Amino acid sequence: MTGTAMVDGATLAETLRIVGADSAAGLARIDDLLTTYPDDARLHFLRASLLVGSRPIEAHAAFSRAVAIAPDFAIARFQLGFFELTSGEGARAIATWAPLLDLPEGHYLHRFVTGLTHLIHDRFADAVATLRDGIAANTETPPLNGDMQLLIAECEAQMGEPVAVGETSATSFLLDPLGGGRMLH
Amino acid sequence: MRRIGRGLALVTIAPRAEASLWRRWRYEAEAGCREQIFVRYRSLAKAIAARQLSRRPAHGAELGDMQQFAYEGLLLAMERFDPLRGIPFPAFARRRIVGSISNGAARLGELDAQHHAWRRVADERVRSLAPRAPDAAPVDRLADVAAGLAIGVMLADTGMVEDANRGDHRPNAYESLAWRELHALLGSAIERLPERERSVIREHYEHGVRFAQIAVILGISRGRVSQLHASAIGRLRGAIGTIR
Repeated sequence: MTGTAMVDGATLAETLRIVGADSAAGLARIDDLLTTYPDDARLHFLRASLLVGSRPIEAHAAFSRAVAIAPDFAIARFQLGFFELTSGEGARAIATWAPLLDLPEGHYLHRFVTGLTHLIHDRFADAVATLRDGIAANTETPPLNGDMQLLIAECEAQMGEPVAVGETSATSFLLDPLGGGRMLH
Repeated sequence: MRRIGRGLALVTIAPRAEASLWRRWRYEAEAGCREQIFVRYRSLAKAIAARQLSRRPAHGAELGDMQQFAYEGLLLAMERFDPLRGIPFPAFARRRIVGSISNGAARLGELDAQHHAWRRVADERVRSLAPRAPDAAPVDRLADVAAGLAIGVMLADTGMVEDANRGDHRPNAYESLAWRELHALLGSAIERLPERERSVIREHYEHGVRFAQIAVILGISRGRVSQLHASAIGRLRGAIGTIR
């Protein structure tokens, strides 16, 4: 990340604690920190994650700001692309994700992006296989695996195959990156 | 308008897709988004127009008039809506559409009632189809306009148009086969039109949207809409053969 002034670890941890307890208070705290640290991509990313459910236009702006400040912030870039994908902007999602294809081919985000690109182009069998590869490779961000498992189930339903979803439906990391119930409504 | 694939449709979340349209129209000036929003809510405007017509005492207004007022209200609501405020657009638009219909109906006096929306629409078509070669012989110029208008009549009767004010103009059994074939030919010719010309034809003939309103929706001048209309009619004439 290239930000000049960034929030220290203790403050960030405290902010996350507030977000976990009270999303409105968490958002207020993040907005307050952003006046002092406007170039901290992590704060913009956190802000976007809080706004995805209730203020989608601002959420997109915040994800975009995070990625503009820190182009190598891979998970923020992935989330921005996924947000665009779920907004019906498939071509734009692919463009946003493009730098992630520079990651090693076995990297879970590379696999997820490849799998989701197959999905956008209705190649459901390829999507399922590649997303499964990504799940197997992902130990860094486990909540993503639940969402990918849900998408695999959707693809299999399109392919007319039996759907077997584990205990993933209650958690939607991508649709609500901070976990269910923490978004502002 | 672009059609999205099954895979993308699978993961698209409707409120996000809606917010995306507003974002791209308002903050990224992306072409086509305003039209997509209008198309998305056009049926709401039409439904409100039909309901308002049934609730009002008969004073000469027709459904076509009500629809024009409803479209005006919808376009006004689109301009005034603040997508950052978190208010659902249908709730915001409904009040403006009803208000626009009320104002429009009040304006529509006895005299105006003689000159209904569909007549004004017809006037626009004639003006749009004025011959591009003013030096041509008067009879040829008249034939040009008449041929263009004939295409318009066919478009209005292809079933593309839901015009509740008119009678059933479908042909009798003798004519029906040739008529259906002609309609099919016309339908496929419309699909092959350039995107903007297709939008003009569909909005105007299928939904009765006036040129001025189409101009707002597409973000172009009214004169340009008229040109696109004339060009499209010319192409359709070419596609179905010479009818002069």
